[in-house]
Amino acid sequence: MELDKIERLLERYDEGETSLAEERILKEYFLKEDVPEHLRSYQLMFIFSARQAGEKLEETPKISSKRNWYTWSSIAAILIVALGIFFFNDSSQRLNDSDLGTITEEEIALEKAKETLAMVSQIMNEGKSDLVYLKEFNNTKNKIIQID
Amino acid sequence: MKEHTFLNIINPVKDKMYRLALRLLTSKEAAEDATQEVILKLWNRKDRIKHYANVEAFAMTVTKNYCLDQLKLKQNNNLRIVHQNYESNHQSLQSEIEVNDEMEWLGKIVASLPEQQKMIFQLRDIEQYDYDEIAEIMEMNQTAIRVALSRARKAIRENLIKKHNYGIR
Repeated sequence: MELDKIERLLERYDEGETSLAEERILKEYFLKEDVPEHLRSYQLMFIFSARQAGEKLEETPKISSKRNWYTWSSIAAILIVALGIFFFNDSSQRLNDSDLGTITEEEIALEKAKETLAMVSQIMNEGKSDLVYLKEFNNTKNKIIQID
Repeated sequence: MKEHTFLNIINPVKDKMYRLALRLLTSKEAAEDATQEVILKLWNRKDRIKHYANVEAFAMTVTKNYCLDQLKLKQNNNLRIVHQNYESNHQSLQSEIEVNDEMEWLGKIVASLPEQQKMIFQLRDIEQYDYDEIAEIMEMNQTAIRVALSRARKAIRENLIKKHNYGIR
């Protein structure tokens, strides 16, 4: 390759006007041949570029690990919740059946109901008896305010 | 989209993403983390990835933005990314050592460029993207890219010459 052609290319290279193909020509020239002293700096630049292009990412990219973890943990969580609900429901139903103390004979049931109601009314009456004092308040008021 | 298909799309790009990240973040560990993070991001929106005309350019844009964010974050925290890329150069040939020395120096020069020039130099001279793709990745117009590229190339060479002539002229 004639030197002046290379030099012309280099001028355009400096201005950023060379095409990729022209840059490839320059690269080939500088990587193979011994170059005149004044072009040594260009040669070093091209060697540098060529060497840097050989740099490789050594570790292989991992992409699925994070995602898989999320998937599996969500599946596990759903399973735990589902099993939990299942067992909880089961035990509460058993409680309903056995422990409520339902009375089967009607007469006893009636007696029990009466007893309960009587107790309620008794408590109510007791409470009401305390309200007698309120009448006293009325009496006093009537003494002060004359009502026609 | 399946994992397999996704990896087939990403595999040819991932080294370019890594190199861009490395150019910006300097540290290999940080660059690896950034690449991994960006790939995860892309995977999470894999359903939309089909709609992008140029997936590679999109992946590079995401990488660029992520790295710039990282740099901003680090600046705000008053931290600098410290790299520990120490390697043993076991080639014993004199010329090899000399070239390695120059390469190291070039790396330093490139690292001292403004971020934009750094990225454009990386994309053009190292990854050899054409101007359309660089415009898409950088979200800039082509003229601005050519100008920045020209500046980067000239700055690198000037620095290199300055270093060579140091103490001589």
